[in-house]
Amino acid sequence: MKSFLTFQCVLCLIVLVWSEAASQFGVSSHTITVQVQDITGIQVNIGSINLTISGSDAIAGQDAMTTTDQSSTLLWGINGGTKKITAQTSLGSPFFTLKVVALSPSQGTAAPEVTLSSAPQDLLLNVGKSSGSCTLQYTGIALASQGTGSDAHTITFTVQAQ
Amino acid sequence: MMKRLAIFVSFLTLGYAHLPWSTLQAQEIAVNGGNQTMTITTGSPGAEPLPVVNTSTTLSYKRQSVVAKITVGTNCPGQSFTLKVVAVSPTKGVAAPGVTLTNGMPAADFITDIPRTGVLNATCTLQYTASALFSQGNSLEEGNDVHTVTYTILAQ
Repeated sequence: MKSFLTFQCVLCLIVLVWSEAASQFGVSSHTITVQVQDITGIQVNIGSINLTISGSDAIAGQDAMTTTDQSSTLLWGINGGTKKITAQTSLGSPFFTLKVVALSPSQGTAAPEVTLSSAPQDLLLNVGKSSGSCTLQYTGIALASQGTGSDAHTITFTVQAQ
Repeated sequence: MMKRLAIFVSFLTLGYAHLPWSTLQAQEIAVNGGNQTMTITTGSPGAEPLPVVNTSTTLSYKRQSVVAKITVGTNCPGQSFTLKVVAVSPTKGVAAPGVTLTNGMPAADFITDIPRTGVLNATCTLQYTASALFSQGNSLEEGNDVHTVTYTILAQ
């Protein structure tokens, strides 16, 4: 009788385990691989900006006249490494001076204000993986002694490895 | 005393033995379309990488002797990015809201209220959406997320 009882208990245990499995009628699986490529994007929100120095910008007794613009924003999206953003102009020898500095970057560190030239210069440093923005402050400077005229810059911003 | 105990155990055994025999049947549920790779390639500056959607796989399942449901879970060690799945147009049962697949998650409802009557076979489209944030990096640095996504049909 005792061995019969032991047999019954083992059988009960097997059926119990089986029935637990049986509450699941079926299982199926497959593999989904998610791949994210190295993505770097940069964009200025405004296509063109005019900086005009007029008589009202002149200060008696001072040769330099300046005007500033903060109407444009630089946007970026970077998902790899630590990068920097540089700025350069298409003009090899501008007649007047044009400076730029990044204000209030949401990521990274703004470099000191730079005078734009045809060589890339640091605008933002230590930009990590982020989607961010900063205000671009342009400053146009003309000397009274330079007379009148205009410079048309095409300014290029580039994300580079730091 | 021993005899009574043996009788009790016998009844207990028989009691469990009436439970579903469906496990003996093949292909109560099956993913069709095989393994998939989803690649995120572009993103908008100031926004985030564009999500990728895949609807090229389907799930086939059968009604059971009881009202049933299908759950979904994933195994993805070292997961970096986001993967969601939702059942589109199930021919039996009710699609649950989209499920975000997270490594080690408890099984989540995918299709519920699969009736025990009516047509035997049913199907739905599996709609996967892969997304990532710029701050989450890329596969070159973090590696791919490889999900083993498991669907289980069970009594509700």
